[in-house]
Amino acid sequence: MSTMQLTEDQRDAMQEIANIAMGQAGSLLAELLGNFVNLSVPRIKVLELAEVAHAIRDMVGSDIDVTAVRQSFQGYLTGEALVIYGQDGCKELGDLMGYDEALDRSEETELLLDVSNILVGACLGGIVDQIKNLTEAQGTAELGFSAPSVMAESVPADALINPDKLSWTHALLVEVNFTLEGRNFISHLCMLMPEHSIDKMRSILDRFIESF
Amino acid sequence: MATPILVVDDSPMARKMLIKSLPSTWDVEITQAVNGKEALDAYRAGKADVMFLDLTMPVMDGYEVLENIQKEGLNSFVIVVSADIQPLAQERVKKLGAMAFIKKPVNPDLIESVLKQYGIAL
Repeated sequence: MSTMQLTEDQRDAMQEIANIAMGQAGSLLAELLGNFVNLSVPRIKVLELAEVAHAIRDMVGSDIDVTAVRQSFQGYLTGEALVIYGQDGCKELGDLMGYDEALDRSEETELLLDVSNILVGACLGGIVDQIKNLTEAQGTAELGFSAPSVMAESVPADALINPDKLSWTHALLVEVNFTLEGRNFISHLCMLMPEHSIDKMRSILDRFIESF
Repeated sequence: MATPILVVDDSPMARKMLIKSLPSTWDVEITQAVNGKEALDAYRAGKADVMFLDLTMPVMDGYEVLENIQKEGLNSFVIVVSADIQPLAQERVKKLGAMAFIKKPVNPDLIESVLKQYGIAL
């Protein structure tokens, strides 16, 4: 086992922090879509880069094609956020937002980007809010986000991550998913952080644990 | 006499945070459960005059716990402690018999004021 792995206490603390953050994101999503949102139990894994694509496929399912939006973040934490939707997710979104007419492609994309942006911002913002007082960088716990972009449409989930395009050795994967009650809709938010962020996160988590 | 209270959450961290947020002057005997099934067992064994109940848990979630308790005749003061802050989630748990809803991360002052409001602690 690699030394990058989290201890059981660190994993548990990360899970609880992710749980609280996703609650805030889920509430925004519920308000936006006018539909009750079911929250998942967050999944936390430290992986070698080569294992990430497979792990995401295991979480999302290998029997469906997905559409994914990507957003990178830097500052207090660094990494990549992927928001992964089932193939019909975009159409379902338009329907949920109460658009009577079928959306054209660019409108559909815009909606997908907006929803993804809200989920990523709320979730990562929620994580940082809970841990920002635990490092030297108190008060400067800012997070910058790139503009969201559609990274893939209708592809198998394990095609989303190309290890050759990332210079990381390891990734901390934090996965939460939102399903809509009475609807065939699921959105997975996968937050990936590279090794230097894992180091930082491990010491933050230790301080978080000590504070209770 | 110590009040038997039950703390239900799948996360050890979350249980620890909750227990540390309880009023220090409150004389309690604490039992912990990691999912809804364990919670029901402890409840049936009379260990839950007051129950702090998480909603999102594997095996059996908090909603199911409330449904079961309601069916068996509610004999516990249930405070839901959850990160799910949707207004509809709060409405639902209250309909299912929960007395109060406290959002995570828990605020000790809020727990104390809820307990005082219902004349439970102190």
